[in-house]
Amino acid sequence: MKESPYWNPRHETMPRDQIEALQVRKLKNLVAWAEAKVPWQAARLKAAGVTADSIKSLKDLRRIPMMTRDEWMQAQLDKPPFGPLLAAPEEVAVRYHLTSGTTGRIPLQVLDSMKDWEWIAEMWCYGFWGFGVRPADIVFFAFSYGTFVGFWGAHYASEKIGCLVLPGGNMTTEARVKQIVSMKATVVCSTPTYALRMAQEAKTMGVDLAGSSVKRLILSGEPAGSIPATKRLIEEEWGAKAADTAGMTEVGTIMIFECEKQPGGTHIIEDHYIEEVVDPETGEPVGYGELGERLITSFGRGFIPVLRYRTRDLVIRVPASGCTCGRTFDLYEGGIRGRVDDMKLVRGTNVYPRAVEAIVREYKEIDEFRIHLYTADGRQDEIEVLVEIPERDGVNADRIVSELAKSLSQAHEGLRFGCKQVEKGSLPRFELKAKRLQDDRIVIGTAGERRVTA
Amino acid sequence: MKNAMGVELSESERTLVESYLGLVRVLKDGKDLAPFERRNAMKAVAALWQVVNGLDLDPGNLYEIGV
Repeated sequence: MKESPYWNPRHETMPRDQIEALQVRKLKNLVAWAEAKVPWQAARLKAAGVTADSIKSLKDLRRIPMMTRDEWMQAQLDKPPFGPLLAAPEEVAVRYHLTSGTTGRIPLQVLDSMKDWEWIAEMWCYGFWGFGVRPADIVFFAFSYGTFVGFWGAHYASEKIGCLVLPGGNMTTEARVKQIVSMKATVVCSTPTYALRMAQEAKTMGVDLAGSSVKRLILSGEPAGSIPATKRLIEEEWGAKAADTAGMTEVGTIMIFECEKQPGGTHIIEDHYIEEVVDPETGEPVGYGELGERLITSFGRGFIPVLRYRTRDLVIRVPASGCTCGRTFDLYEGGIRGRVDDMKLVRGTNVYPRAVEAIVREYKEIDEFRIHLYTADGRQDEIEVLVEIPERDGVNADRIVSELAKSLSQAHEGLRFGCKQVEKGSLPRFELKAKRLQDDRIVIGTAGERRVTA
Repeated sequence: MKNAMGVELSESERTLVESYLGLVRVLKDGKDLAPFERRNAMKAVAALWQVVNGLDLDPGNLYEIGV
């Protein structure tokens, strides 16, 4: 029997009307589950007059209230640590993960059961298989294997597919490059920024990556995987094909992936999610080809039902016919194109300026500050926080700067913050709306192709 | 056996579904399972749930049996 290019051939090539029928059925089940198991969700649904029985078509989805990250965070604060969002007892969980919060030190925290965790890997399988990864592949993960969910699901997806997995956590860039070459890895998983960093390190080491065994790169964590110039640069330096993927801690895994045809966009895994694209101001749906905010409804993780979650990601949805792979799953042309809010992605980690500010303000000795994003060595995203600490008796500025860097890193999954003291009065002061974030990151590749919102 | 979309399942698919249902039944009813039996069966059910779900049989959730 000929090997299928699809992980789930029946679903991935289903006619659109059948995909919608499947989604309506799963939506009814999800609403019934949330009503029965999560009083917090049940109250929201009841207030909107939504019951499982009242879901007849995808149009009924719009009657379900949108859920925001702020609501999620507030729910966690009201009932720590997970908020009233769990549909199952905590004892059933086998996994705990988190992502940096929108405010202060409190992260967004999630739990998964055995079944949920297996499903998380299943979603990555759609992407890996769809991009041509097969059991004979040797997959290297340039990933820190911490509480940030990142490539965890991808690791287990690779095992599920039958690949040999090289878990490259806790290694220097040099050691990673050496292992990729010596173990003849055929697939490398990393953020786009780190793929370039490894390529740079390889050059320094005199290693010809383009001549190595690597045939595929699977990128995640930053939008650059779908930015043509960046992707071209990565592909040239590695002599390999690169695919974009995107996921989020709130659903635990990826929801979009680029297939082997590389259509300049990412397929939505529509048998496991409903993705809507709306005007971020009005919440009204926008049509194919129009920029809007994506909302996600996930059928996978039953532990924390997610209904119409506002992602704040900006996307342009186009029909599946935009790709020649035969999938009937629609695409996000150009992947994730930017953000509605002020969140910044730095080396795959979410950074909210207001969360940074909340931590900086814990140090009363700091008079003023600025968050500065820049590109080091022409390719690596860096973040630094510049602070003014006036000289006062008993104030040890060096200690404060050091502690601040540690606190910020701890609140952001270990992301390195370069905190520096600057001269008193050198930072701008604001009377009205303060603008304490300066993003000086440069375009990688052709000017203008970096589409991350400023 | 047909799935929720009205598609007839193949013999191999039916066997996988029956394996899943059999394991769920054992985990619900089996009081005398040794740790190695129960925990390995739970892992198998978590994996087979993906198959049953992918075949459109609405397998629900499995938290009541610890999966």
